[in-house]
Amino acid sequence: MYRLLVVEDDRQTAAEIAAALADHGFTVDTAETGREGLQKAAAETYDAIVLDRMLPGGLDGLGVLATLRAAGIDAPVLILSALSAVDERVRGLRAGGDDYLTKPFDFLELTARLDVLLRRQSAPPRETILRAGKLEMDLATRTVHHAGRAVDLLPREYRLLEFLMRHAGQVVTRTMLFEEVWNYRTAEPTNVIDMHVSKLRRKLDPDGADPMIRTVRGAGYMLRAAG
Amino acid sequence: MRLVDLPRTTSFQLALRFLLLFGAASIALCGFLYWQTTYYIEAGIDDWLSHEQAVLAVVQSSTLVKRLEAHVVADPTLERPLTLFTADGTRLAGTHLAMTAAELTAVPMDSPFRFVFHQGAHPFVFRGLAHRRPDGDVLLVARDMEPSHKFVEVLTHAFIIGGLATTFLGLTGAAVVGFDAMRRLDGVTRSIQRIVGGDLSERLPTHGRADDLDRLVLVINGMLGALERLMQEVKGVCDNVAHDLRTPLTRLLAGLERTRRHTATAEDYAAAIDDAILETRDVLKTFAAILRISEVESGARRAGFTDTDLCEVVADAAELFEPMAEAKGVRLLLASSDSPALMRGDPSLLFEAVGNLIENALKFTPQGGCVTVLGFARAGTVGFEVVDTGPGIQADERDAVLRRFYRGETSRHTEGSGLGLALVAAVARLHGMELTIRDALPGCRITLVRHDGADSGIGKQPPADPANSNDIAMKPAAE
Repeated sequence: MYRLLVVEDDRQTAAEIAAALADHGFTVDTAETGREGLQKAAAETYDAIVLDRMLPGGLDGLGVLATLRAAGIDAPVLILSALSAVDERVRGLRAGGDDYLTKPFDFLELTARLDVLLRRQSAPPRETILRAGKLEMDLATRTVHHAGRAVDLLPREYRLLEFLMRHAGQVVTRTMLFEEVWNYRTAEPTNVIDMHVSKLRRKLDPDGADPMIRTVRGAGYMLRAAG
Repeated sequence: MRLVDLPRTTSFQLALRFLLLFGAASIALCGFLYWQTTYYIEAGIDDWLSHEQAVLAVVQSSTLVKRLEAHVVADPTLERPLTLFTADGTRLAGTHLAMTAAELTAVPMDSPFRFVFHQGAHPFVFRGLAHRRPDGDVLLVARDMEPSHKFVEVLTHAFIIGGLATTFLGLTGAAVVGFDAMRRLDGVTRSIQRIVGGDLSERLPTHGRADDLDRLVLVINGMLGALERLMQEVKGVCDNVAHDLRTPLTRLLAGLERTRRHTATAEDYAAAIDDAILETRDVLKTFAAILRISEVESGARRAGFTDTDLCEVVADAAELFEPMAEAKGVRLLLASSDSPALMRGDPSLLFEAVGNLIENALKFTPQGGCVTVLGFARAGTVGFEVVDTGPGIQADERDAVLRRFYRGETSRHTEGSGLGLALVAAVARLHGMELTIRDALPGCRITLVRHDGADSGIGKQPPADPANSNDIAMKPAAE
């Protein structure tokens, strides 16, 4: 079971985040100030840290992050912020953050992103062939086969499938898809992403015999990891 | 306005300073004039004295005595005294000067000098020139200075009276100017107090003189106008937010209450909760959209500007919306241009703007219609355009649709927050782009264009209406 630390100054928000993460199966500790967060992070080993960008007192989120990294604590850090400007995001990631989520956010979005961060920690490096169930993707030749049958994909569909396959068995939100596959940081146009996924579904499985991509109600999608 | 405030006004102090400066200059000028005048008069007299001495020097002593006696008879006044006296100060002939022998023997030879003697109470000032003749006698030629002193006196009086008149006029002028400024500033102050008191429609008074104060007042009035407009916009937005959020919140509440009254099974509860979650998400989404528009309008995103190719952004957006067009039975065409359309900007915001326009166009274009998008750069302009074959936007609605929460008659019953075009307008303003809505006959053409493509470095083609040019190859968005 993963242990997570949530550093958030608003007690109610912290409690809600902690409850949502606990429901998701994580063990959660909370800290209200940057100082307390640093002490806890140094005293125990956490698998990931959820860090508020704006913290009271002299030490804000980026300060905590810099101190953590300087102390050699390299647990993945997800930054929460009310500031959505692109340069804020860039600054957060440059300071050593691994992901950035703008408030207000959906708890499903938060847990999905944390799953990805935690998985990334343990993922084997650099394969040239991705496999999920009957699906096989050759990264070198950029070809996809489903149950031995070649599937012809547009470049964007290929990237969409690659992202889903890299996170097979995990919930992937529409926002994550939009950010990773289209590479723009804006409010995602929800319906359209669904339509792209539907098209991809039809191409992978024209007769509906083996539905690979499952819709997770209210959250996003999940590619079945095994046949 | 009080009299004691007058010396503190800027105009009065300025006038006073000028008066002091002018006074100092006048005094210096008068002094110079005085000095030059007296010098000139003295030099004239000295010339006359030397000339007289020279004439009399060649006259024989006996003849001289006779001439002096004749001079005394002819000119008994002391205006031009001529006196011959011996070395010990005894007068031989000529004018009687009330001077002692000691005084006479002390006079300097052959150089003009000034001397005074009293006859009664009246002092006589003379300028004289003495010359020792070969026989040892001394001839003194002199001239009364009274007439020239009179002239200098009149001159000095004129100076003083002129100075006093100037001072009086200057002070009066300064007071008038000061009072005028005080009166105008008091007017401005009263207006500002009314504005601070809450009357935002109040404007500062002008005097139609187009002077510096009027110019300042005009600028401030312009600022007040902008502030008033913004305040009204903020108020309008608040009203709209309240109105637009009341609807989903009412629906949410009604749903929850209905669930409370009627629901029996756990599945019903779960379904009701899911509905509530979706409803709440929509409300949050509306909030997020409002916040985004505010963020864009604050200009904070300008920090994230990079070199962006509008053609690429437009192509990406067209590709993203292709499935939606397909589902609606509308053709989505990407008009490709040969050169990139580079400008400084936030690619994500520009993408969102293009996306909003495409989504809107798809929403209103009937089945079998067509939506065309293109990014272009030519002749110092760079921009993008979305053209549809829908019902178009009425001319009188074209400004209104860009306002937050505005819903046109045709769109009142369609889905949407009424914030899409407001965000497009905010993105356009952030990038210094001009947003125009025109008729495409049939349909609507929305163009965002940035003039002065100086920093994009592109735009060698002649200007042309982008959508009507024939050099653009049309192709479906997702080939």
